[in-house]
Amino acid sequence: MAHKTPLGADLVIPLLALAFAAYFFWSIAGLAWEAKANGVLIGTVLVGLVAIQLARMGRELARGAGDLRLDPLWLPRDALVKRVGMVLLTVAFIAALDWLGLTLSLFLAMALALRLMGVRRPATILWVSCAVAGAAYLLFVAILDSAFPHGPIEQLLARLFA
Amino acid sequence: MSWEFLAGQFAAQFALWWLIVPGILLGIVVGILPGFSPQNTLIMLLPLTLALPVEQAFTFMVSLYCANHLAGGVPAILVRIPGSGGAAATTLDGYPMTQKGQGQQALVLSFVASVAGGLITALATLALLPWLSQIGLYLRSVEMVVVMLFGLTLIAVIAARDTLKALVAGFFGLLIGVIGTDHVYSAPRATFGFLELYDGVPLVAALIGLFAVSEALVMIEEKMIVAVEGRERAMRTNWADTLEGLRIALRMWWHIVWTAFVGLFIGVIPGAGASIAAFVAYQQSRLWSKHPERYGTGIPEGVIAPEAANNGVTSGTLVPMMALGVPGGTTAAVMMIVLQYHGMVMGPRLFINDPGLAYGVFVAMVVAYVFMIFTILPLARYMARIVLIETTYLAPLIILVTIVAAFSERQYVFDMGLALVFGVIGYIAHKTNYHVTAMLIGIILGPLFEQYMVRSLRLSEGNLMVLFSSTLGNVLWGLLALSLVLPSLRKWRRHESRR
Repeated sequence: MAHKTPLGADLVIPLLALAFAAYFFWSIAGLAWEAKANGVLIGTVLVGLVAIQLARMGRELARGAGDLRLDPLWLPRDALVKRVGMVLLTVAFIAALDWLGLTLSLFLAMALALRLMGVRRPATILWVSCAVAGAAYLLFVAILDSAFPHGPIEQLLARLFA
Repeated sequence: MSWEFLAGQFAAQFALWWLIVPGILLGIVVGILPGFSPQNTLIMLLPLTLALPVEQAFTFMVSLYCANHLAGGVPAILVRIPGSGGAAATTLDGYPMTQKGQGQQALVLSFVASVAGGLITALATLALLPWLSQIGLYLRSVEMVVVMLFGLTLIAVIAARDTLKALVAGFFGLLIGVIGTDHVYSAPRATFGFLELYDGVPLVAALIGLFAVSEALVMIEEKMIVAVEGRERAMRTNWADTLEGLRIALRMWWHIVWTAFVGLFIGVIPGAGASIAAFVAYQQSRLWSKHPERYGTGIPEGVIAPEAANNGVTSGTLVPMMALGVPGGTTAAVMMIVLQYHGMVMGPRLFINDPGLAYGVFVAMVVAYVFMIFTILPLARYMARIVLIETTYLAPLIILVTIVAAFSERQYVFDMGLALVFGVIGYIAHKTNYHVTAMLIGIILGPLFEQYMVRSLRLSEGNLMVLFSSTLGNVLWGLLALSLVLPSLRKWRRHESRR
């Protein structure tokens, strides 16, 4: 059997673009022409380009040269768990930021991420996570005084150095 | 402007080394870190720059600004994460060079091209200032629309593996760039109900997501970002590699000169900026090359062109600010605020009332670039070793630290989530060859494009033919069409000659 190109993955971006263009058109429906002219122009060109791309892919499928597998997005399988894990971990890190503050949440996220990526030695995980969280505290909180949410570590250090 | 006057200016600027060196070092750090823009750094340092005498404040700001443009190429070359939008084109050949174990050489090429490009264009600006300041006056909204489209289509041409996919990505980015309230009625569009998107999509979050996060998600697949032979080469780095990089850069001096001038002329156009300049220079370099097919595989010309151009922009963006009072970019706008605080009035009279400051800015730039080459060149050997860190450490470090950096532009936790969303979109685009750079440039150009497009349409009462109403605009349309057609034509001719 001849090798078929997995075209399913190629569909994701055009479909996202199409969905976004549809949402854009819906969101500007009742606005004055000045507010929608540019979006309509760009959106129309985008829809046209997506249509050409879909037609090109449809021709490949009709010729039997491709199928709708999503392989490029999943493969290699052993990296998939790490990749999805990293995304979920980052979501958890952002969500925990309000309660734990920058330093503690970054320390925990870094430690868990290193473990997820396959680092086994606890000492390595500990010092790398401490170094990253410490550097972030120094740069963003101590020096730049950014508006990051303050957690127990920031409050403790603020009391110590107040 | 006499020679004595210029000599005095140079002597005065060299004496300010104690401001130039910290400005350079800070600019390098800010340039290397995605998410830290020179304008934000200058804003944070306003208490310092406002307290200094105006000449010293300007020397410090210019040093930081130029060093920032130079350093943006470092992460672009080493880990395929541009430190700023202007360095996005550097990833195209810089990163493949790193993968081949030539990271140190690529860094040296980038430093030399940046310094030489910045130096030459600063000197040229000094000489051409009265004429250069006129260029911006000829480009009205109609021409600017074409310039923007030119920038976007060039990227599609550069992403020669699949022009159609790159155009889809570019226009997708352009539409994302329109998110937010419109310029006339402030009506929200496609904001998904988030107040944080009313001001548009934050560029730092988009940059971090599309480049840093997506690249880190891809690099998880490999143990290291360089191949085995590249790793061995990176481990053996020595001063000879730095000298070799220098030798290659000097051999390509003409390439540096003309691509730097591309940057200078684009920089003079208000709003066009370093990202367009770098891509135009890269595309022109490839267009006129004897071996265009080798671009994107890691060749010196592919690093030199965008780096020389995005440093050529540094002088260009200051020209309309000094000569017309119209800042050429955001950093120039921050500088203008500092100058206005000190009571300086920008415009043609500045050159008569305060020539020391007007010309001194560009002299400061020349001096800063001279200091820069001695500061950064020796570091290339050590910077290149970053590629020897295993991806098990590098990937989580990049993802988490850059997500944190996404907060710095507007101080919204929302932007961190947005960077992650862009990271996932960027990952999908990356794996399916929908050019992420085209998407990013689209997002950058989106708001500007709308501004010029709506202005043109309002002038013509909604008639689209206004886009073809000016001679200069039509010439630009022609060049745009030529840029799209020429590569295909050359490809076809090569194919025919082989037959």
